[in-house]
Amino acid sequence: MTALVIRRLVWTIPVLLLVIFLTFVLMRQIEGNPFRTSERAIPESIQRNLEAKFGLNDPWYVQYAKYVEGVATFDLGPSLTQRGQTVNEVVREHFPESLELGGLAFLFAIVVGIPLGVVAALRANTPTDYAAMVVSNLGFAVPSFLVATLLIYFVVVRWGVADIPTSGWTTWQSKILPVVALGLGPAAYFARLVRGSMLETLQQDYIRTAKAKGLPHRRVVLVHALRNSLIPAVTAAGPLLGFLITGSFVIEQIFAIPGIGRYYVTAVTGRDYSVVMGLTVLLAIIVIVANLVVDIVYGFLDPRTRDARA
Amino acid sequence: MAVNPAPRRVRDRAPWRLKDRRYRAAAESVTAEQRPERPQHEAGAPVRQSSLWRDAWRRYVRNRAAVVAAVAFGLLVAFCLFYPLVSPHDPYEVNFSQASESPSLEHPLGTDRFGRDLLTRTALGGRVSIGIGFAATIAILLIGVVYGSIAGFVGGWLDNGMMRFLDALYGLPYLPFAIITIAIFGNVTFWVMVVALAIASWFTAARIVRGQIITLKQNDYVRAAKAIGARWHRILGRHLLPNTLGVLIIAIFLELPAVILGEAFISFIGLGISPPDASWGAMAQDGRAVYRVHPIEIVIPSVAIATLILSANFIADGLRDALDPRTKET
Repeated sequence: MTALVIRRLVWTIPVLLLVIFLTFVLMRQIEGNPFRTSERAIPESIQRNLEAKFGLNDPWYVQYAKYVEGVATFDLGPSLTQRGQTVNEVVREHFPESLELGGLAFLFAIVVGIPLGVVAALRANTPTDYAAMVVSNLGFAVPSFLVATLLIYFVVVRWGVADIPTSGWTTWQSKILPVVALGLGPAAYFARLVRGSMLETLQQDYIRTAKAKGLPHRRVVLVHALRNSLIPAVTAAGPLLGFLITGSFVIEQIFAIPGIGRYYVTAVTGRDYSVVMGLTVLLAIIVIVANLVVDIVYGFLDPRTRDARA
Repeated sequence: MAVNPAPRRVRDRAPWRLKDRRYRAAAESVTAEQRPERPQHEAGAPVRQSSLWRDAWRRYVRNRAAVVAAVAFGLLVAFCLFYPLVSPHDPYEVNFSQASESPSLEHPLGTDRFGRDLLTRTALGGRVSIGIGFAATIAILLIGVVYGSIAGFVGGWLDNGMMRFLDALYGLPYLPFAIITIAIFGNVTFWVMVVALAIASWFTAARIVRGQIITLKQNDYVRAAKAIGARWHRILGRHLLPNTLGVLIIAIFLELPAVILGEAFISFIGLGISPPDASWGAMAQDGRAVYRVHPIEIVIPSVAIATLILSANFIADGLRDALDPRTKET
């Protein structure tokens, strides 16, 4: 187990370097220089000074090395267009909102998706099951921007069920709709996964044994079956994170939440490439670290994967 | 022969993604089913693959959900292709005197906020969305086949290195990378979207093809072909690649929804196809401006996307079952 953890940890380093490198290469392909735009005529000498200041004249490998050094020391460099602002400040300012949104949506997915999957599996091939699967298939296929729009339209505009703000990220009321809109897809995903693995688990001999020795149904389901059925859901957390990130770009836009996703889009349109690069690398690191954690947790949950070569 | 069948890492064993699991089940099943039949195809005998495909077809049409999905999918695609040809309305003509109308006889789905017929616009947007979807899916599969078959066929250190490279990229959020790719090209066109989406999501396909090739490589008929002196390109082209066809067909319907949703997201946040050109994502973005008073404008393209994704998912499931008789019975 320790060997697995260490191996995975060590393996993360070249992966990070490669991902930073690829992002770096991609970013360098983008046409244009932020200081040589036609809209902002800056004297030639100042341009040269600016380029020197940001190291744009160094050979690419020096720039890359500097950038890696920066990432290693949690310094993502200065913003190119917002004078005096660093990418770190952007992250500090906008990341907490995104983290909270993603975290709450994840929670929503667990709280709604797992019970839905369990109930569907326990009542397999009954109307309850079909209804649950229709909901989860739809939740999976309907784009989150429609979910968000319909939520706003029906809850606030049409029915006026609740008078809650539809933009911003301040009061808890303003957080309900974005969290539901973002969490619905992952909840559907969880429900499908848990239903599938639960059906499989319920066929196992140890479930029959548990029933045979007279354990209450509740205990058999919740302790014996559910625990083992959750393994696929845990392993799904990695890809789910990608889903949440992608979704947050859209949801933050719709609900005007000042998070990373929204800022990313602003930075792309504003050609603030150091911010784009920094945020891309940050998102990549988050995903890589999350996958690392999932791998390790998986090793703990499923002893069979432990002794195998890592 | 540097065959490397043992999954080396946890990730190879773990069902990481739903998509992956379905892929893998499909990969295993096709191989398993074709294996007993293959020896008859050796030594230049006419390839009798029709029975496999006929069997698969028979199993597929017995699956009601899959058939309904296929019909819905076909109808939607046909509608997008042909409706603009017969539609009485110009999808680009702005006419504010009839903006944001509700559905009527003249405009079955109403009009958008510029007075354009929504039904025609939806068909037009569908052409772009589905077109991008299919083009990107084909690109993804091509890259996947080339990358995967090189890694799987050559094996050894090359395979090792190529797979490590894939591992590094695997699971990265595709949206930022697709957006950066778009930024590189500067202006957004149909083909830029295709390239951006393909670059960001070819990893799974490559991995699947590689796994499939490695499994197939161990079959006796491949050894037999080698023994009678078949060259590598014949083994790859005649014995290995044709047998990945089943997986690739399933893969089309697994990748397509992801790509179409990706296009919709990018266009929706305003970095993709932009008006007056239509794609379902761009239409949804357009409709968002007026959703409080005229919600149908965002609902229509979104429902179109959902219908397409849903039917593609069911088609993929049906194809998997059709190509795998074992799971069918359970």
